[in-house]
Amino acid sequence: MYNLLYKELRLAAHPNLFVFTLLGALVLVPAYPYGMVFLFGCLGPFITFTYGREINDIYYTSLLPVKKRDIVKSKIALVVVSQMAQLLISLPFALLRLRVLPAGNPAGIEANVAYYGFGLMIYTMFNLIFLTHFFKSGYRVGWSFLFAMIPATLGVLCMETAVHFPQFAWLDSVEKAMMFKQLPILLVGGVVYILGIAVAYRVSAKRFEMVDL
Amino acid sequence: MSILAVQGLTKKYESFTLDDVSFSLQPGRIMGLIGKNGAGKTTTLKSILNLVRADRGRVEMFGRDFYQNEQWCKQKIGVVLGGIDFYSHKRLSSITEVTRRFYPAWDGKAYQKYLTMFELVPSKKVRELSSGMKVKYMLALALSHNAKLLILDEPTSGLDPVSRDDLLVLFRQLVQDGERSILYSTHITSDLEKCADDITYIKDGKLMKSADKMTFIESFQHLKESGETRPLSLEEIMIRTERRNYDV
Repeated sequence: MYNLLYKELRLAAHPNLFVFTLLGALVLVPAYPYGMVFLFGCLGPFITFTYGREINDIYYTSLLPVKKRDIVKSKIALVVVSQMAQLLISLPFALLRLRVLPAGNPAGIEANVAYYGFGLMIYTMFNLIFLTHFFKSGYRVGWSFLFAMIPATLGVLCMETAVHFPQFAWLDSVEKAMMFKQLPILLVGGVVYILGIAVAYRVSAKRFEMVDL
Repeated sequence: MSILAVQGLTKKYESFTLDDVSFSLQPGRIMGLIGKNGAGKTTTLKSILNLVRADRGRVEMFGRDFYQNEQWCKQKIGVVLGGIDFYSHKRLSSITEVTRRFYPAWDGKAYQKYLTMFELVPSKKVRELSSGMKVKYMLALALSHNAKLLILDEPTSGLDPVSRDDLLVLFRQLVQDGERSILYSTHITSDLEKCADDITYIKDGKLMKSADKMTFIESFQHLKESGETRPLSLEEIMIRTERRNYDV
């Protein structure tokens, strides 16, 4: 598995995947809809999968001494690594903004505990649809991305809009007590993300086994 | 023991069926897989390699069932797909660095030897290589993990006569120690006159004949026209077998 992930990073990953992963730092922008960070986290895999198709990556990998489902596993591992790296990269900037921008984010949700929980759920919606649809064929990236981006974008819109309603103001807070109250959202997000990846892998691998390359 | 034994390989598509194809390849031999465009040569090779899921049939490699022992078998084979570029913007050194990790039997010294022998420059990108050099690079990778069976899909298509001849001489040298075998699909039958030991002929998805070259040629001599005395060439055999009359 390590060798396959190394192959993904060294040969299959488009440079833009790394750029979009670094965009976790956007949570330091004073007034910005931070939900965009998660959409960039979906755009990176899309560009890499498109690039992979152009460079015949799946073809080459299938000639290596690996099983067909290992190809699915390595692609999913790349998506998980890039999304988790994006969140990790954003963390120090989220902490820094508390000191340098204490006035908060007027454009939408704060980079708080709830934000990361919702982010994991948004990634899950995208991953489930994008990966399972893509591995039906191994090459139809555009439609897979379109179908997956609709719920992911709606998720971001809901998150960004909800915090403008007074009854959801606690979701927009960076106060310790409020963030403690937000903790279940993060926990649910984490569980949903892990389950989502497991389901995406099982379904994708099953579908890809049937694909004729 | 056969290096490769294919039994009853069948794959159905909407408008094409690869139907019950069987043949075997012995160590130290080159087998040419011939047929016109669309006859099923690539489908046969892809089905052997499980890139395409066969509906029926059995593939045995080095005495083991390929589909049950895919990873083990793939350690001992090298595949070259002519006309398909991998990682065209990457340097050969990067591709090698990744590929060698998958093969415990990787021999770095052998790889350096083949690079020198084939005049390959590791800092070059794939897109900077000619078609012949791309095939040679894939062969260098295969030979560096000591592949005993080379499966080549149209490796000489699109090459100039000099590069083609160069590769054919190389193929003969590769099998001369009797340990390696080559299964090689092509529609350039003149190449096979020069280098193949065995011929397998597929027509419209069906196996016409699989035999050593002499037996193969002899079995098609009924296609001779009146007055012809010399044996038919592979090209003549194919053309006369495939010839159609159009009612226009």
